[in-house]
Amino acid sequence: MSEWITFALPKGRIMQDSMELFSQIGITCPEMNEKSRKLVFENAEHKFRFMAVRATDVPTYVEYGCADLGVVGKDTLLEQEKNFYEPLDLKFGYCRLVVAEPKSLQKTDDPLNWSNIRVATKYPNITERYFAAKGVQVELIKLYGSIELAPLVGLSERIVDLVSTGGTLKANNMVEVETIAEVTSRLIVNRASLKTKHERISKIIDELEKVIGDEVKISQ
Amino acid sequence: MRFSDSPPETDLPKGVRDFLPLKAAKVEYLQQQLQQVYTAWGFRPVITPQLEYLDVLERGLGEGLQERTFRFDDRQSGRMLAFPPDMTPQIARIAATRMSERPLPLRLCYNGRVLRHTEQQAGKDRDIFQSGVELIGLDSPEADAEMIAMAVESLAAVGAHEFTIDIGQVEFFRGVMDGLPLDARLAEQVTDAILRKDSSELKGLLEQSELGDNTCEEILAMPRLYGGREVLQRAEKTVNNERSRRALDGLNQVLDVLDVYGVLDHVTIDLGELRGLNYHTGITFQGFLSGVGYTVCSGGRYNNLTEKYGFSAPSTGFTFSLLHLLFALDKVLDEQVVPSCDLLIFSTGENLRAAQQLAYQLRKQGYSVARDILDRTREDALEYARKMNFRFMAVVAGEERDVEMISLPDGGQKQVSWQQMHLGRFKL
Repeated sequence: MSEWITFALPKGRIMQDSMELFSQIGITCPEMNEKSRKLVFENAEHKFRFMAVRATDVPTYVEYGCADLGVVGKDTLLEQEKNFYEPLDLKFGYCRLVVAEPKSLQKTDDPLNWSNIRVATKYPNITERYFAAKGVQVELIKLYGSIELAPLVGLSERIVDLVSTGGTLKANNMVEVETIAEVTSRLIVNRASLKTKHERISKIIDELEKVIGDEVKISQ
Repeated sequence: MRFSDSPPETDLPKGVRDFLPLKAAKVEYLQQQLQQVYTAWGFRPVITPQLEYLDVLERGLGEGLQERTFRFDDRQSGRMLAFPPDMTPQIARIAATRMSERPLPLRLCYNGRVLRHTEQQAGKDRDIFQSGVELIGLDSPEADAEMIAMAVESLAAVGAHEFTIDIGQVEFFRGVMDGLPLDARLAEQVTDAILRKDSSELKGLLEQSELGDNTCEEILAMPRLYGGREVLQRAEKTVNNERSRRALDGLNQVLDVLDVYGVLDHVTIDLGELRGLNYHTGITFQGFLSGVGYTVCSGGRYNNLTEKYGFSAPSTGFTFSLLHLLFALDKVLDEQVVPSCDLLIFSTGENLRAAQQLAYQLRKQGYSVARDILDRTREDALEYARKMNFRFMAVVAGEERDVEMISLPDGGQKQVSWQQMHLGRFKL
């Protein structure tokens, strides 16, 4: 066991869920429990390193090999289409990627009549592919947050966004019209790492596979 | 912060770059080290043209590369021309046409540059430095093993320490998929899921299909069939079809040869590796360096390529991406490649004859020597020599007089007699 294994994890709840799952196969990092503003944590004894990064940056760190493994939502993977392995569905962080619109619009709206619609989203690539497959042209408005605001102020008629419980949509008088994809967190692995450190990494994958339940969990 | 309104007038298009002496020396070193390995295995260089007719070139290009080819009109012929995006089709053309009368096998190597379109994204190279070999006219495990052993030796020769050549075999997968009642779209999704080793997606796809349990089990095993030699035993237990078993037999024979060549330690196996599925016909492989996230070399068997140029011959080969190697091994190369020049010869007197004579003699002795031709002070010359990475500056006062040698890294000085300098009786 000469080589370090580096994980890229998204800051926040998914990081906690990931560490909870990893602890079941003996991968821990006591350093992480101390209060600090560090971005890199180490377990020197077992040669594990953990980087806390933005969720949308996880694929980049893993693709370039700065991290051997990463945890990231399927939504980000669909949006970015990078080149690495995604061997495990970790089953937490469940949510859905949906098309939503204001309740008032829904009454008269029929998805079959959609053409040339305006959509606000954090996911321009997925949105474009999804509507293109239906033969619908869209005018995309890329936003970085609070997507539900767009229809309220007339920026777009519809949005494509993640929904876990549906609370935010409801509070903003919006309804889901179509589901694009079901999303959970995935374990991703750099291609070169899987080859050059295959014994350590295969062991992690095999052991994780055994402790992941069948049940899909929402992460709040 | 302000960005200036227009880029400088001397800017370059994205994806190409200038190599200054330090980097250029490293690229040249990589080329020489690789060429030495190719030569040791009996491969001879060919030089391919930088322009081809598009329709001729396209015969040998996979779909992915066709889209990435730079193409334009030829004013002379009225036909479409292209800059080759890959050299393998060019070698296949040469072997199938100009060299088709020669006895097989042909062992050819190349070293050159190709151009490819890339996505709009910044940072991806469009000007690609390739170095590789093609072994044409052999279809046997020993030939496959030759390519892999050469790739290992090549990586060792350029100074890589921890690396893996990862071997795949597309015939194994074809055997599993042969004759299954899967529609094209589903088959493509299955292939893609295996490529990403995404077992959960694969499971979902197979549930949609109407395949039997045994078949599903075979397919579901694919994403996990990677690792050391033990993978072959695991694979043997999983599959029953003749074609996959033949593929495993071949792989075992290849590994036996690699054992003889002493390179097995650098080899891993991945039967779920399906890159190049449309192009390759047997064993494939890719080179990975520890801690580097991308491949530095790729290769494999392509038995259907030369026949597109009218001459059928089983073939295999590999290519190194020199820029990937350069980036991955930059630190190692710092030690291997010394971009300095041995001596700068500075003359103190009006009579330059002595300095010129000494430069002439030392070059004949095999040193790299530059004459400080400018009329300037000794301090200025020393400063120049230091900045330009000279190892020594020689201060020449006149014929038959002692030469002062100044070592540049440490400033140490010593006197060497004119006689000794001329006879080469000194050490730098």
